[in-house]
Amino acid sequence: MTEVRAFIAILAIIIGTLFSLIGVLGMIRLPDPYARLHATGKIGVYGSVLLLVAAATWTPLGWGRAIFLIVILIVAGPVSAHAISSAAHRINLPMKDPIRDDLLEARKRESSNVEFFE
Amino acid sequence: MPGEGGTRHIMRELLINIATIALVLHIGMMGVVVWYIWRGKTIADRLIGVDLVTTVLVSIFVLLSIVQFDSIFIDLALPLAALAFISTIALAKYLADEQVF
Repeated sequence: MTEVRAFIAILAIIIGTLFSLIGVLGMIRLPDPYARLHATGKIGVYGSVLLLVAAATWTPLGWGRAIFLIVILIVAGPVSAHAISSAAHRINLPMKDPIRDDLLEARKRESSNVEFFE
Repeated sequence: MPGEGGTRHIMRELLINIATIALVLHIGMMGVVVWYIWRGKTIADRLIGVDLVTTVLVSIFVLLSIVQFDSIFIDLALPLAALAFISTIALAKYLADEQVF
C-alpha cells in the first residue's frame, strides 16, 4: 500500500512540475498580457492542485485541508485571471494581431447608448 | 518477505529525490518570475507576475511538506492562497478604476 501511495505521489509531482514549467515558459514567450494569462492560469489550477494531491496521498495530512485548499485554488485562479484581463482591457492595453474584439465593440455600443439616452 | 521492505525503501527514496528536484525547479521558476516582474513590459504583466509568485510559493510550501514529511506547511499555504486572491482582486480593481472602493 505504501508503494501505491508513493507511486501516485511521484506521478502527480512529475505531471504538476511539467505543467508549472510549461506555464512559466509560456509566460516568458507569449506576446501580449491576455495570452500570458492563458498560460499562467495552468500553474494555479493544474500545477499546485496536482502537487497537493501528491502531498495529501503521501504525508499524514488528511484530505480535509487538502480539499479545502484545492477548492480555494480552483475557485480563485480563474476569477483573478478574469479580473486581471478585464482590468487590462479597461486600460486599453493592445492585443497582438486580434481577429475580433467583441468586448471593445460591446463597450462602444454601450457608451453610445448611454450618450443617446442622456 | 525480504523483497517488500526493500521496494518500499526504494520508492520512498525515489519520492524524496523527485520532490527535491521539483523543489529546486520551483525555486528557479520563482526567480524567473521575480526577474519578469522587475523587467515589467506593461503594468498588467507586473500584476500577472505578483499573482504568479504567490501561486508558485504555495507549490513550494506543498513540496516542502512532502520533503519534510510534515503537514504544517499546508497550514502556511492556506492563508497565503486566500490573501493572494484578495490582494489580486483589489489590485486589479485599482488598476481598472484608479480607486479601490
